[in-house]
Amino acid sequence: MTSSAISRPGQRERLTMKLPEIDWRLALALCCIAGVGTMMLYSTAPLSWKPWAGPHLIRFGLCFALMLVLSLIDIRVWFVLSYPIYVLALLLLVAVPVIGHESLGAKRWITAGPLSVQPSEIMKIGLVLALARFYHGVSAKDARLSWKLLIPAVLIAAPTLLVAKQPDLGTAILISATGLAIMIMAGLTWRLLVLGGLAAIVGAPAFVMFVMKGYQRDRILTFLHPEDDPSGSGYHILQAKIALGSGGFLGKGFGLGTQSQLNYLPEKQTDFIFATFAEEFGFLGCFTLLALYGVTIAIALRIASISHSHFGRLSAAGLTATFALYVVINAAMVMGLAPVVGVPMPLMSYGGTGMVTVMVGFGLVEAVRVHRYAEITSGRGSLLL
Amino acid sequence: MEPHIYFDEVNERQGVFHRRTFLIGGVLGIAGMALTGRLLQLQVAEAARYQTMASQNQFRFRLIPPPRGRILDRNGVAIASNRPDFRLLVRRDEVDDAEGLIDQISLLVPVTPARRKQVLRDLEITPRAVPVAVANDLTWGEFTRVNARLPELPGVTADMGESRVYPFGGAFAHVIGYVSKVSQPDLDRAKKATPDGQIDPLLLHPGFRIGKSGVEQSLDAELRGRPGGQKIEVDSVGRVIREDPAGDRKPVAGSDVVLTLDADVQNRALEVFGEDSGAAVVIDIHTGDLLCLVSAPSFDPNRFVSGVAEAEYRALHDYDHQPLLDKSISALYPPGSTFKTMTAMAALQSGLVSQHDRIQCSGQFFFGGRYFHCWKAHGHGSVDMAEAIKSSCDVYFYQMALRIGPDRIAEVADAFGLGHTFDIGIQGQRKGTVPSTAWKKRVNAKNPANQTWFAGESLSYGIGQGALQVNALQLAVMTARLANGRKALLPRLIKSVGGVERPRGDQFGDLPFPQDRINIVRSAMASVANDVGGTAFKVSQLNLGDIKMAGKTGSAQMHGYGNTGSGAKERDTTHLPWRLRDHGLFVAFAPYDDPRYAISVILEHGLHGTNAAPKAVEIMKVALLKDPDMRQRIERPLPEDRSAPGTDGTETDDSVADPSETPVPPPPQPPVMGRPTPAGARR
Repeated sequence: MTSSAISRPGQRERLTMKLPEIDWRLALALCCIAGVGTMMLYSTAPLSWKPWAGPHLIRFGLCFALMLVLSLIDIRVWFVLSYPIYVLALLLLVAVPVIGHESLGAKRWITAGPLSVQPSEIMKIGLVLALARFYHGVSAKDARLSWKLLIPAVLIAAPTLLVAKQPDLGTAILISATGLAIMIMAGLTWRLLVLGGLAAIVGAPAFVMFVMKGYQRDRILTFLHPEDDPSGSGYHILQAKIALGSGGFLGKGFGLGTQSQLNYLPEKQTDFIFATFAEEFGFLGCFTLLALYGVTIAIALRIASISHSHFGRLSAAGLTATFALYVVINAAMVMGLAPVVGVPMPLMSYGGTGMVTVMVGFGLVEAVRVHRYAEITSGRGSLLL
Repeated sequence: MEPHIYFDEVNERQGVFHRRTFLIGGVLGIAGMALTGRLLQLQVAEAARYQTMASQNQFRFRLIPPPRGRILDRNGVAIASNRPDFRLLVRRDEVDDAEGLIDQISLLVPVTPARRKQVLRDLEITPRAVPVAVANDLTWGEFTRVNARLPELPGVTADMGESRVYPFGGAFAHVIGYVSKVSQPDLDRAKKATPDGQIDPLLLHPGFRIGKSGVEQSLDAELRGRPGGQKIEVDSVGRVIREDPAGDRKPVAGSDVVLTLDADVQNRALEVFGEDSGAAVVIDIHTGDLLCLVSAPSFDPNRFVSGVAEAEYRALHDYDHQPLLDKSISALYPPGSTFKTMTAMAALQSGLVSQHDRIQCSGQFFFGGRYFHCWKAHGHGSVDMAEAIKSSCDVYFYQMALRIGPDRIAEVADAFGLGHTFDIGIQGQRKGTVPSTAWKKRVNAKNPANQTWFAGESLSYGIGQGALQVNALQLAVMTARLANGRKALLPRLIKSVGGVERPRGDQFGDLPFPQDRINIVRSAMASVANDVGGTAFKVSQLNLGDIKMAGKTGSAQMHGYGNTGSGAKERDTTHLPWRLRDHGLFVAFAPYDDPRYAISVILEHGLHGTNAAPKAVEIMKVALLKDPDMRQRIERPLPEDRSAPGTDGTETDDSVADPSETPVPPPPQPPVMGRPTPAGARR
């Protein structure tokens, strides 16, 4: 690849050279989304910085700083660390059932001293990096269809199954969908996709009936017929739809959403924050918010496409795909188009771990942009720090 | 092992990535459009529907119980009404430590240990969201004191409701009944009555009382009214966030019920009974309206409204004068000699007997191998029908009954209303028994040996004993029909409900008896009360000038009549314990020359009708003196022209007679003044 100022020896590490290369439009879009989230958490508290809006804003500030720091780290470092991170995440996932601690009927957390980590969150990043690392050294022909593709298939399947076992269906779907998206972007043949899709359509009912746990199956069935049980499992979906629908075109106004203020809306500060927003700001607000997410995703995909390295392209695009999947699944769930699977709305829902993962992801995306001209020689150990 | 990637392959990889990423972007765009479409559907197309559902979530109606309709007498005097009641309510779902809470409350208002136990039990069994009354009938001082401390008492509300009150206490207890707490059987019945099995939430309100007997029970639906609602904003767990006075729905008060009873007559009736036990019924013989329907002794229905104590109830229940029993309609008695009017009517109807036929009474009558005694040991001598009624000669009626047989008697008794129940709007009437040969076959259907009617039975039937059983209301109706003479009038108790007049039933059927025959019996009844020698002479004087009563005494045996005893002495039950003594009965109508009111009085274990007659006089007096026409007649000025008496009377008659009403029978013949009997008045 040709040279540029940033890739020249000696100038590579100059902070003043790197900072302007950060995509500040993307940073601004993220700030806007987090700002809207803070505003909603303030509204639904109700009208108080405690207990959600204040911590949310502080966390975002810290995560934003983390993103800036990560964006300055050379992607070749990530290239080298990609497999180790994946292996570490996988080991932690394996360890979760043994040393993890349980909350709300699922083992998802590992506590080490004052620190608790959710290995599945690390895996969201680790899988993207590992797949990007793998495809970096694979020819277009092999990426299309070859026996080599068994490697990414195993890379995806292992964490998916471990996470589903926790059980955390939402994250498992997200991880596998992200992996699939990367395989597609790397050039997987359509024929296999169509075949796989058909197999899924045939196999899904059997999967729902025989593999899923009782409460997971209930959620799916409830999603299909929410009105059957308005005060039981269908309650979440129905109340979210009432919140959305009653918002109307212009919304009820800031701090005036009755569904959220009177607690009819479940999980109003986490998974259903979009419904809280929709109730108070109506269709106009929702459309604007979705457009904001759309712009963010578009900017991030653009960054992926201008990267000179295949690793950079795929990791940036994969991380963006994760983010996009979050948004689409959460919005569809709140609108009653998808089952309730416990996927937060990134940057708006209250909760620390999710935000760290998202912002680390965008830190990597920014790093890809900053180091878009960096040359990565394929192969192990070809890059030294 | 490293794959070798050539320059063109690198380009190819990049090209594939660009195409695929563009595609993924497109898919995301489509997903975005789908989400937008869904938003349009929910927030624009179906917005109204979801807005309704949101406000259903947000707003509830808190029940405001309606004021219960009042019960009034014919003159508008309230005999059941409502008074304000300050009370404390506790909701189970907002209280963790019920005992501690009651301790706190008892520092402010008195809570008896019994009440405390009751409240704790109520809190256990009532649904969690339904409030329970901890204290009732607080004084205003207590109420304000508790109100000031309410913030320290979570789950407690101070409520200002209404409570039922019966200002006349016992006088109307049996007729209008009482209201009380809703019981589980009440709830089950209410559940069954509605098609969807939903209970009216009003029934669960702690201040609500349901009618348990009498008019309160039979017209409960009309008296109840419709509850209102207070619009409140609630959160998802039902906590009240705000009240919205603009959205309140007013409760609709229950309908007022007007009875035909007259509070003065009714009160006087209970008063004259004093500690005695019995019943009195007064009927307006033009309209059938019941002016008095009283049972003595009575109880205070106010005690039942907030729940009567077990011991008090037991005391009422165990008292041998049976205050809880409605003796006017729910107790049966042999009519005794008051029934001789019926036997006489039956004899005249049969055509076998003339009123002038004479019977020789020697004090006893030998039949079927033994003696049937007359109450008068030495006999009445030769008596015709009028004399027999006047002196209540048993032997005459033994013989009459024997001549005409039971079925003719039963036919007449049936026409006069005995053995019937009447639609007066309250439950609990007992039919009684009017025996006949057919009746005997029916009751002994399974035992053919007992189906034969014995002539001996006719004898006691003729003097109102044997299997014959009637209630006080039936006796009053019988007397009223005799007094009316033409129409088979029906009694009415409920005058109007919610301002809508109840049918008076003035399309009464005709009595199937010729006027002259009825007049024979009526004039005989006049001499019972007004002639020297009449059984009720002296004891039935109204002392209201020319307004006089006509009547018939009776005593009902507790044991076999006439066929076991061997003389009049044995029939004197004065020496027996109270509950074995004979009942005293008296039926009468007044004024005897132009009847307006009929009365029946039963004095339980009162020995004889002469003891019941003075009570009838007192009750009748009030009814007469409250009637403006009667007052006019009593207090009329001396005529200017003293040489033409009587014109005044005719005018009064015209003004009395409302053309739409039942025709007033012409004044009967001046009472036949029977020859003075040397024996004189009985007792």
